[in-house]
Amino acid sequence: MEKTFQETAEEGAGGSEAIALDARPPRLAAPRSTQLSPGLFKELCLHLVKREIDATHRMTILGWAWPVVRQLVQLAVLVFIFGSVLDLGIENFPVFVFSGLIAWTWFAGGTTAATGSLLEQRDLLFQPRLPPAVLPIVAVVVPLVDVLMALPILLAMLLIEGGIPATALLIPVLIVVQLVLMSGIAWLTAAGSVFLRDIPNVTAVALNVLFYLTPVFYGLHTIPEQYAGLLKLNPMATIVNSYRALLLGEPFPGLGAVAYTLAFAAGLSVLGFLVFTRVQHRFVDNL
Amino acid sequence: MAALTVRFDGVWKSFPRWLSGRRSLRAIATPGMRSASRRSGSRWALRDVSFELRQGESLGLIGENGAGKSTLLRLASGLGQVTKGQVLVSSDVASVLSLGGTLNVDLTGRENALTAALLAGVRMAQARDVVERALAFAELEEFADSPVRSYSDGMKLRLAFGVVAQLDPGLLLLDEVIAVGDLRFREKCMARIDELKAGGTSLLFASHDLEQLAEQCDRALWLEDGDVRLAGEAEEVVERYRDATQAATLDRTPEPGDGEAGLVLRENRFGSQEVTIGEVTVTGSSGEGAVEPDGSVTVELTLRREGPPIEDPIVAVSIHQAEGEVSCCEANTDTDEVPLGSLSGERRVRFHWEEIELFPGEYVVDVGVYERSWKFAYDYHWHVYPLKVIGVNGSEAIFHPRRRRWTIDP
Repeated sequence: MEKTFQETAEEGAGGSEAIALDARPPRLAAPRSTQLSPGLFKELCLHLVKREIDATHRMTILGWAWPVVRQLVQLAVLVFIFGSVLDLGIENFPVFVFSGLIAWTWFAGGTTAATGSLLEQRDLLFQPRLPPAVLPIVAVVVPLVDVLMALPILLAMLLIEGGIPATALLIPVLIVVQLVLMSGIAWLTAAGSVFLRDIPNVTAVALNVLFYLTPVFYGLHTIPEQYAGLLKLNPMATIVNSYRALLLGEPFPGLGAVAYTLAFAAGLSVLGFLVFTRVQHRFVDNL
Repeated sequence: MAALTVRFDGVWKSFPRWLSGRRSLRAIATPGMRSASRRSGSRWALRDVSFELRQGESLGLIGENGAGKSTLLRLASGLGQVTKGQVLVSSDVASVLSLGGTLNVDLTGRENALTAALLAGVRMAQARDVVERALAFAELEEFADSPVRSYSDGMKLRLAFGVVAQLDPGLLLLDEVIAVGDLRFREKCMARIDELKAGGTSLLFASHDLEQLAEQCDRALWLEDGDVRLAGEAEEVVERYRDATQAATLDRTPEPGDGEAGLVLRENRFGSQEVTIGEVTVTGSSGEGAVEPDGSVTVELTLRREGPPIEDPIVAVSIHQAEGEVSCCEANTDTDEVPLGSLSGERRVRFHWEEIELFPGEYVVDVGVYERSWKFAYDYHWHVYPLKVIGVNGSEAIFHPRRRRWTIDP
């Protein structure tokens, strides 16, 4: 019991450059009880995101253009319906819708992918050294990259309409807030889906409803007072409004709404991570 | 004494029952009932399994499919929870389990190797280097930038094992997978595993390839329906496992004269069945299925033909070693020029060996009836009828000539 793995590894390697996996001295422990290294978590996350994106776009002819095309088509439909057929009377309607649509597309796409991320990547979960908490995060980050592909188009539209305000530089902060919010939801729905296969359906229905409860193709100021308060409970409403405030010079959401959204996102993320890591050892047996 | 790398302490494991059945709202709403039904109906995948491995030791897992080998490997790799008992493993375990699943077929071999390395816990700084060495080990440099879609199963295995071979884990888990590769690469893998073992890596190895297992492992664990049936020296456990399998085959063998019971098409019975063989008896000078090394053997069988007559079918009888590939003697009505003529209905055929001249041991008699120019078999019973040559065998030899003589110069 005296000998450590490191010593044996060095002796055994005998000149060959085998990689000793763990720099710690040997210690028998319950499997997977070892602490997650943040460095490894980040590297795995980035690599898996890259791998996912590479694999999705490589076999198609349009490749990277696809996510942009998808968003532009949806934009065109919304602009036609709510700008021409049922005119909501909003200024700069295409830019207005696009800014909301980008945030929403990411939210809906990421949440859907994250919900199924464990069920659909069973083989990855069976890799002993992969921290499972990586998978929902990867699912959330992949559609962010897709959405960012559309950002230059939005900025070009803004330029044509009269210029990009300096506040646009704060967009990354907002992206981080939305990422935190989405990670919390992702951990909860992904873990829940393993034990209750109905959750992907529930998520799909909820996203459908939430699309209309989020001011994507309308503004909060256009709706009756008594419902505005209710809609502000939806953190995505505040986030979408904030994107518009930064990009289009719309009024900023109130301090209360911002504080509520920040607390909601942070709280949900912490809760999600705690719940996820608490049940993750039970995933494999239930898949 | 070398340090422990894995230890199972009275491990019991069952899987949640709902996975195999339907989930109802009621079952979820009443958690008490749910756990009660789970307790009563669960099937144990592992029952009271204990063992430990120290650095450099290796343990082979033997058993039928579903005996619990994969469950055990999974638990050792930290996947899933034990129901009862305790599993302790060193923190640097590496595994080659469910290899193919993580490969993305649209990406290249190099990209997949990088993913595999990161998944195995290698940091990015070292991973690029590991990938190049893995590709070299797997002899896949040429195909490194082709999508894995174009790889054969053997190449996929080489890629995955190539990555694992670059690691120096405290405990290595190997599943059946390794058997997929070609012989030369398999030997390369085994040589690498030996190297790792010499360096202190413990090996947990599940395989159906008993030869390989006995060669590679010091000890073995024979699992049967989740129980440890036998644990001990690998060679001995393998031997006993083989004996048991053999016994099971012989149990299913029909008593001579019992007709067709125990014959399974495409397993031990082949042929078009236009002519069938029935009521086979193997009678030795010491009784049914038994003979002294110098005794005589008579094989009797009935040919049956329904429908229009068939011309000159050939009947063949041969004796083989029960274990092993060696065919000891063979005779047929074609080379012996005993034409059967036109066959319809039933006909009894007898074949007689005056002196069997075989060393004591377990043999089997195969019988077959063939088309007149050996194009195909009408019916062939493979390794169905046992023949025991009585006596003590102190030799590996088969042929035991009766007329023998020593001449010693004074």
